[in-house]
Amino acid sequence: MYGLVALGYHITWATSRTMNFSQGHAVMVGAVVAYAVFVGLGWPFPVALLVSLAALALFGALVERIAVRPFFLRASPAWLLATIAVGIIAENVAQLTFGKDARAFPSPLMKKPIMVGSVGFYPQELLVPLVGLLLMGLVQLFYHRTAYGKQLKAVAWNPEAAGLMGINIPRAVMASYALSALLAGVAGVLLAPLLNVAPQMGTIIGLKAFAVAIIGGLTSAPGIVVAGLGYGLVESFTAGYVSTRAREIVGFGLVILVLVVRPWGLLGEKPARRV
Amino acid sequence: MRRLSLMLTLLLAVAGASSVLAQSKEPVKIGLSAAVSGGSAASGEAIKRGLQIAIDEINGHGGVLGGRKLELVVRDDEGNPQKGVTLARELVEREKVAAVFGGLHTTVALAQVPVWQELKVPYMGAWAAGTNITRNGQTPNYVFRVSANDDYVDRFLSRYAVDQLKKGKPGLLLENTPWGQSNEAGLTKWFGEKGVKAVGVERFNWNDPDMSPQLLRLKGAGADLIVLVANAPEGAQVLRSKSKLGWDAAMISHWGISGGRFAELTGDLSDGVTFLQTYTFFGKQNERGQYVLKVLREKYGVKEPGDVIAPVGTANAYDGVHLVALAIDQAGSTEGPKVRDALENLKGEYKGLIKTYKRPFTAEQHDALTDEDYVMVVWKGGKIVPISMK
Repeated sequence: MYGLVALGYHITWATSRTMNFSQGHAVMVGAVVAYAVFVGLGWPFPVALLVSLAALALFGALVERIAVRPFFLRASPAWLLATIAVGIIAENVAQLTFGKDARAFPSPLMKKPIMVGSVGFYPQELLVPLVGLLLMGLVQLFYHRTAYGKQLKAVAWNPEAAGLMGINIPRAVMASYALSALLAGVAGVLLAPLLNVAPQMGTIIGLKAFAVAIIGGLTSAPGIVVAGLGYGLVESFTAGYVSTRAREIVGFGLVILVLVVRPWGLLGEKPARRV
Repeated sequence: MRRLSLMLTLLLAVAGASSVLAQSKEPVKIGLSAAVSGGSAASGEAIKRGLQIAIDEINGHGGVLGGRKLELVVRDDEGNPQKGVTLARELVEREKVAAVFGGLHTTVALAQVPVWQELKVPYMGAWAAGTNITRNGQTPNYVFRVSANDDYVDRFLSRYAVDQLKKGKPGLLLENTPWGQSNEAGLTKWFGEKGVKAVGVERFNWNDPDMSPQLLRLKGAGADLIVLVANAPEGAQVLRSKSKLGWDAAMISHWGISGGRFAELTGDLSDGVTFLQTYTFFGKQNERGQYVLKVLREKYGVKEPGDVIAPVGTANAYDGVHLVALAIDQAGSTEGPKVRDALENLKGEYKGLIKTYKRPFTAEQHDALTDEDYVMVVWKGGKIVPISMK
C-alpha cells in the first residue's frame, strides 16, 4: 500500500527532479472527498470514486502550478517547503470543513472477517494490495507503451532535448503531478474503510511512503514496489514479534541504513560519477 | 452656562448613583476554559450546556448573594496548555471571574494549577481525570473537581473485573501517552490490591490502524479480560482487530470511548463493550435529571437520551455550578480565598443530579465524586445502556 503512494514520489521525481511532499495529504483528500460524495451526498460509490479521482488530479495539478513551477523554473529548492505547506493547508481546510473526528467509511468488504485458522482478515485488506499492484502495472504500461508516457519519460531523461523535440515540459511535469496525486487518491479511497477518514490521516502515510521511496530507490519503480511490500512485512513482524513500540524505530532505522549503504536505494540507479 | 453645569452635575450624580446600584447588582462571572473547537469540541459544548442550564436555573431563583445574577464567560483553550495558562490569567484579571470551570484535557488542567494558586481563584474540573490535577500537593488547594479521577477509575475498573466479572487474568491495552501511563500505574496498583496481576501490558499510538499484534500477545498470554484505556478512534480499531482474531474475550474500558463517534466507527462490534461514566441520562432519572433533560430537549433539540452529546460533561458541570453557587452564598462573598474555604466546608446538603452531596470537599479530598459514584454502562445497538450492579 505504501508502494502506491511511494510510486507517486517516483513519478514526479523522474520527470522533474522534484517531489510532492503533500502526497500523504493527497491520500487524505482522496478519502475525504470520496466520503463527502458517497456518505455525505449519498451518491453511488463509482460516482464518488470518479469525483474523488478528478479532485485529486486537480489537486496534483494545482500543487505543481502554485507550489512547484515558480521555484522549479528558478532552480530553487523551495518547492520542498512549498509542497509541505500545501499539505498542511489541505489538512486544515479538511479540519474546517469535515471536522476533526474520524468517521467510518462503509464498505461491504468490511462486514465480516475471513478466518484462516485462528487469524482472520477483512476482504478489504486483500483488495488493497491487489488494486495497488494492478495500478502499478498500469503505470508501467502507460510509460512504456503509450506515446504520451514515452514523452514523459523523454522529459525525465533529457529535458532539454525533449523540449527541443517539441514536448511541452511544464505540461508534462504538471501531468506527472496529477498522476502521482491520483495514485495517492486511489490509495486514500481504498484505505478509508480500514483506517477511517480523518483530516490527520495523511501525515504518517506520506512519511512512510517517502521512506519506502528512499529504500526502493527514487529512480526505480520496481524497487519501490518491492520496498513497499517489504516495509509492510518488516513493520508487521516487528509489531508481532518484538513490540509495537519498536515498529517505527525499526522501520525508519532501515531508511538510515539504506541511505548509508546504498544511497541510491535498493534497485535505484547509481548516479554516474563525473570525473 | 450655569444651567448647563447644573445639568452636568445632575447627570454625574445620577451616573454615580446608578454605578453604586450596579455594583451591588453586578453579575457574578463564572469562567470556562475548555476546548470548544477542534476534535474535542463536543466535550466543551457539553460542559457549556451543563453550566448554562444550572446558571439559568440559579438566576431564575434569584441568583446568588441576594440577587446577583451568574454570568458565563467562555474561553477556548483548544486543548493547548500554553493557551490555557494565558486565558486563565485573562479570565481572572480582565473578566474578574469568581471561579473557573475546566475542560477535557488533563495537560491543560495541570498547566493551569499554578495560576489558580497564584491568583487565588477556585477552579472546578468538569472533565479531565488526571489524578494529580486535584492531588497537586498544594495547601491551600484551589483546585476542585466534579468528575472522574484516574486513580478511582482504576480502582473501580479492577473491582468490577475481579468482583463482578470474576476475571483473574486481565490484559491491559493502553494508549502510549501520559494518560495511558497514569492508568497503567493505577491499574497495576489496584489489581495488585486484589491479588491479581495483569498477564500483559500492551500499548498503541494514536491513529494506529491495526491492533492485532498487541491483541495476539495478550491472547497468547492467556488474558480472559481486556482492560482498555483509549479514545474513540483507537478503541474502534481495537474492536476491529479483535473481531479479526475471532477473540471473544470480555472488554471493559475507561470512559474515552464514550466520546467521538465510537458507535458509528464500530457498528455492531461495539455491542457488549462495558465502560464507566459519572452519569448516564438513560434509565430512571431523579428530579434534576428530568429537569436537565427537559431543558436539553427544549433548548438544544435533544430528542432522547441517546442524543445527549458527551453526557458526563453536562452532568459534571451542572452539579459543579450548583456547588460553587452554594459556596459563594455561604462565603457571602466572591473573593477567591473565602469561596475556596466555603467549598471545603460546605454546610447542609445539595440534592444534585449525579448524587446527593454532603460536604463533598474537605482539605484532603478535592474530588466530589469517587468510585462509589461511578456507573458502569454498556454499548448496545449504538446506544449507551446502564448496567445494574450487584
